[in-house]
Amino acid sequence: MKIIQELHEAQQDRLTRRHFLKDGSIGLGAMALGSLMGCQSSTQTSSIESQVKELTKKIPKAKRVIFLHMAGAPSQLELFDYKPLLQKLNGQACPDSFLEGKRFAFIKGVPEMLGPQFSFQQYGESRSWVSELLPEFSQVVDDVAFLKAVHTEEFNHAPAQLFMHTGSPRTGRPGFGSWVTYGLGSENENLPGFVVLVSGNSIPSGGKSLWGSGFLPSEYQGVELRSKGDPVLYIKNPDYISRDIRKKAIRTINEINQQSYDEIGDPEILSRMAQYELAFKMQMTVPEATNLSSEPDYIHELYGTHPGEVSFANNCLLARRLAERDVRFIQLYHRGWDSHGSNDFENLHGGFLQRCHEIDKPMTALIIDLKQRGLLEDTLVVWGGEFGRTPMQENRGGIKNPFKGRDHHGEAFTMWMTGAGVKTGVTYGETDEIGYHAISGKIHIHDLQATILHQLGVDHESLTYQFQGREFRLTDVHGEVVYDIIS
Amino acid sequence: MKKRYVTSWIIFSALLLYSSCSHDTIDFNSDVRPILNKHCLACHGGVKAQSGLSFLFEEDAYALTKSGQSAIVRGNAHASELFKRITSDDPDLLMPADRPPLSEQEIKTIEQWINEGASWGTHWAYLAPDRDAEISAAAGAPAVNEIDHFIMAQLDEQNLKPSARADAATLLRRVSLDLTGLPPTPAEAQLYLSDTTDTGYERLIDHLLASDHFGERWASVWLDLARYADSQGYQKDLIRRSIWRYRDWVIHAFNQDMPFNQFTIEQIAGDLLPDATEHQILATAFHRNTMTNDEGGTDDEEFRVAAVLDRVNTTFEIWQGTTIACVQCHSHPYDPIKHEEYYGLYAFFNNTADRDNSMDLPVMELYSPIDHNAKIRYEKVLTELKSDGDTLSDTYQEKLKEYLQLQPAAVPIMSELPKEEQRSTHVFEKGNWLVHGKKVDPHTPGFLTPFDESYSKDRLGLAKWLVSPENPLTARVIVNRFWEQLFGRGLVATLEDFGTQGDPPSHQELLDWLAVEFMTADEWSVKTLLKKIVLSHTYRQSSQIRPKQYAADPLNVYLSRGSRYRLSAEAIRDQALQVSGLFNSEVYGASVMPHQPEGVWNVIRHAASWRQDTTGDQYRRALYTFWRRVSPYPSMQTFDVPSRELCVSRRIRTNTPLQALVTLNDPVFVEAAEQMARGSLAKYAQDIDTRISDMYYAALMKTPEPAAHRDLLAFYNSTVEDYQSKQETHLSASEIDFYATVNVANVILNLDEFIMRN
Repeated sequence: MKIIQELHEAQQDRLTRRHFLKDGSIGLGAMALGSLMGCQSSTQTSSIESQVKELTKKIPKAKRVIFLHMAGAPSQLELFDYKPLLQKLNGQACPDSFLEGKRFAFIKGVPEMLGPQFSFQQYGESRSWVSELLPEFSQVVDDVAFLKAVHTEEFNHAPAQLFMHTGSPRTGRPGFGSWVTYGLGSENENLPGFVVLVSGNSIPSGGKSLWGSGFLPSEYQGVELRSKGDPVLYIKNPDYISRDIRKKAIRTINEINQQSYDEIGDPEILSRMAQYELAFKMQMTVPEATNLSSEPDYIHELYGTHPGEVSFANNCLLARRLAERDVRFIQLYHRGWDSHGSNDFENLHGGFLQRCHEIDKPMTALIIDLKQRGLLEDTLVVWGGEFGRTPMQENRGGIKNPFKGRDHHGEAFTMWMTGAGVKTGVTYGETDEIGYHAISGKIHIHDLQATILHQLGVDHESLTYQFQGREFRLTDVHGEVVYDIIS
Repeated sequence: MKKRYVTSWIIFSALLLYSSCSHDTIDFNSDVRPILNKHCLACHGGVKAQSGLSFLFEEDAYALTKSGQSAIVRGNAHASELFKRITSDDPDLLMPADRPPLSEQEIKTIEQWINEGASWGTHWAYLAPDRDAEISAAAGAPAVNEIDHFIMAQLDEQNLKPSARADAATLLRRVSLDLTGLPPTPAEAQLYLSDTTDTGYERLIDHLLASDHFGERWASVWLDLARYADSQGYQKDLIRRSIWRYRDWVIHAFNQDMPFNQFTIEQIAGDLLPDATEHQILATAFHRNTMTNDEGGTDDEEFRVAAVLDRVNTTFEIWQGTTIACVQCHSHPYDPIKHEEYYGLYAFFNNTADRDNSMDLPVMELYSPIDHNAKIRYEKVLTELKSDGDTLSDTYQEKLKEYLQLQPAAVPIMSELPKEEQRSTHVFEKGNWLVHGKKVDPHTPGFLTPFDESYSKDRLGLAKWLVSPENPLTARVIVNRFWEQLFGRGLVATLEDFGTQGDPPSHQELLDWLAVEFMTADEWSVKTLLKKIVLSHTYRQSSQIRPKQYAADPLNVYLSRGSRYRLSAEAIRDQALQVSGLFNSEVYGASVMPHQPEGVWNVIRHAASWRQDTTGDQYRRALYTFWRRVSPYPSMQTFDVPSRELCVSRRIRTNTPLQALVTLNDPVFVEAAEQMARGSLAKYAQDIDTRISDMYYAALMKTPEPAAHRDLLAFYNSTVEDYQSKQETHLSASEIDFYATVNVANVILNLDEFIMRN
């Protein structure tokens, strides 16, 4: 009886969190609610026990997600997937069997094998391998779960990023955070429920489609909090309109709108009045939430932050501030990981090295900081690129590149997760001796998505939206929850 | 305890049944098909036909299944496996498997249907519209034309009463925004408000229909369907510099009231018309709005295929209201379209010369209208000079240089491959373009009108088939789109889906009547159709909500009142420009770049830069704003414009705080408030009372109610005080007056009534 009560409460909790769905004007949300609440699973024939089992699976462990996407695809072979044999093969011609029937973005002819470019050590009780490039991160390996055999079919940046964040390699589908806020709503009505933070030299190749709402209503699209200019577009009043005047203006607008409502009786007017009040509140809450200067010195030291810059470090700290404020889906993009050997600014000994330096301290700080605030218990943190890199050295045009680099590779790459019920200090999945193919524990992108949704208490098969005559899902018609990595 | 629960449940259900059971005969379409769709088709439909049984096509439903039996024995429910399975006591046999069973009522319906002979029915939308619908006016109901007769008859049935006419100011603004996307100019307002009789109203309508802004307004609707944008899409999203010529073609076609069947044929197959004109070829840029992928390492054939698939899907969504994308991979789960038939349609589009080339080849070289005229002028002058033997003079050389600088634009167009290069089309097994199945020739789906033997088996034939009077869908789907724009909701609410999963029509007889008239008496004239609708009493009703009526019909499906909804992204911007006096009314031309916050276009490495127009083009209509697929204009995106990567039939209207921030703070809206204040101050410098009325009138074509006027005045006064009390600003009295007036204007431009179409 007790567990059923608990489940009931869990459901009630989710219902109240999703209070916005009660608004009759948002019928679509209500539809999602129906399918989410598992109307279909409670059949007459199924026993109470199986219902309990079903519901237990659906209790949300995560209230929110922070997704650290390394756009451009970092090399797993230089960071986590240590392959001593590859070192021995360094410089040898790649065997034909590795090349037959494969499509590469740039590799032509027969490339050479490329050994790990940096040294590795094992850390923590979990004895997890981490390269010398992530000294800070190596200290928190016991808090994370490494997924060593993630795979994708896409081998170009834009489609692969779209695949990771929308479940489809083509544009036009809703972003991950759009699906999540559509399904679960927002817990902080003074801030957007799906926030996007971008660092690196520009936004990722997948473009804004990565956080567009696709066919979902536009209110679910990700809102970019910009580091320069207004954090949210148009949030700042013109110079000559003070907050006091704005307050009076909104009061006046709503007084007259109230008169319209009294005359016309359209409930949409009441909804608009509420949105204006909310906009006014956001003008306060957004600058407050994004004001990193208010953090104490030791926090800046922990993250390596410098308020006012566009940086991954600042975005990590901002992510924690947004998590504290119950923003549902916080998506970070850090760009510049496309480590081909063709240029100095992205090759393994150039840009790649720099990127590692940029992320090491802040992402470690994020884990430590979330943990010390108790936020890691219900915040799921995910790290990874859109695919991995080849064990071969990239040789565009069939000739050797001037720098050390690797081509795109989707068959096996490493991601890590932590928080919100994810097992800690574990490694799941394994690749072959050169890190080319997965040999166990494969996780497809749709599986990863299903697992993240599962931690949020959402059945990925039930979160659907009707468009162009069919029910669409984030996981398309695929996806299996990876129960082995969650406790 | 469990047992008692079950028993009482059965008694309860029996009671329910007893009270609701009707003795009318069962209709397959309205009673049975929804049950099959809901419970059965997931496993016994177009995707899966488990145990050899499918309810998608009539012949399959009655055929023998794998067990050697037929699921349905006509006239005998209890001998039918279908009935046995949905009522079985054995959980292993009970259908649907692992899902909630059918309700008692549903079971009863199936039982009665089988017992009555289990007659199949064709879905309403696949039957030709009824050409002889009887129209009779409901007694005492207001009616201007036939539309009202249909609407009033149904209101009567629903026990609802129509509303009175909207007041003149509301109607003036409504019809102007609806037909031209702009509020009326003061002159237009005067034209109507001085004569609000039916004659005066009709004169106003004729005036609006004749305006060049008419074409702009309807083009912006069409461009969502045509997925028009100024860039190629995908990762690099390269710029399409000249595709705006197609956008202008659409505006022009609406302004000329090109018959819709011709409008259709030219866009799908203008290049295949005999002696095709430059304009007819330009029209085919319609299907070149598909995306082009220039990312390194992509297979051009893969993205050519993606473009062709998109052309099939878009064509069927726009003209047939049929969502067909799912048939790429397997037969349609709910509608009677076979997997192979999809590729029959694909074959019509599979022989154009484009192949995902980054230059968007093939293109047509086209001079802009200005350059075209200049070219003729130069040629004349040069010929004259030449005939004078003056070819070595500076004048000649200079003119020649200028002449040579006139370069045509390259507009992507459709062009058919020569016979010997034509591709053969194969079914893609499970939708995978690399796995070729059976070879197919161009053909249209069997459930629709037969493809006339006289049509050529190419895009031209397909276009003619779409607009043939026998096609049951095209005219219905199209009139429904226009209806939706004027009422905020279609007669079929799912504009994009007239299939069995779409909403049934709220007024099928009216829809059929409009469709038939559109094809016959109206001769496919959009202006005639629109005029008929806006003249009706139904359209002219007040949108005021009466509580009882609201309770009975909250969504206003039956139209017992005028509709009221938020303006489109384009109209919101255009309206602010127009009423403030900033508006640049120039029609046609290259896309423009109004103010956009810095950094928004910092999209990708290959990004072109956003160069803000400063010489007046920044105040052009929203329709002309440069449309980049990866980064649509941010304020318009906030008001629900799609990215234009794919065809979108319906924009879903949202209501969010970010929208309030746009109309409060986006520089163009702030400028509009400033301009409005400036204009009013120039006229009524001394008198804030008059200024308030003046600005309010400019926005809404009426003076404010006393309460609203009082609120605006109080706000003005307190704003003045605020500025005065802040000594550090050192504003002069006239500056304070100006800024306080701007604030009032800003409030007016944010009123619900202004954001809504009432």
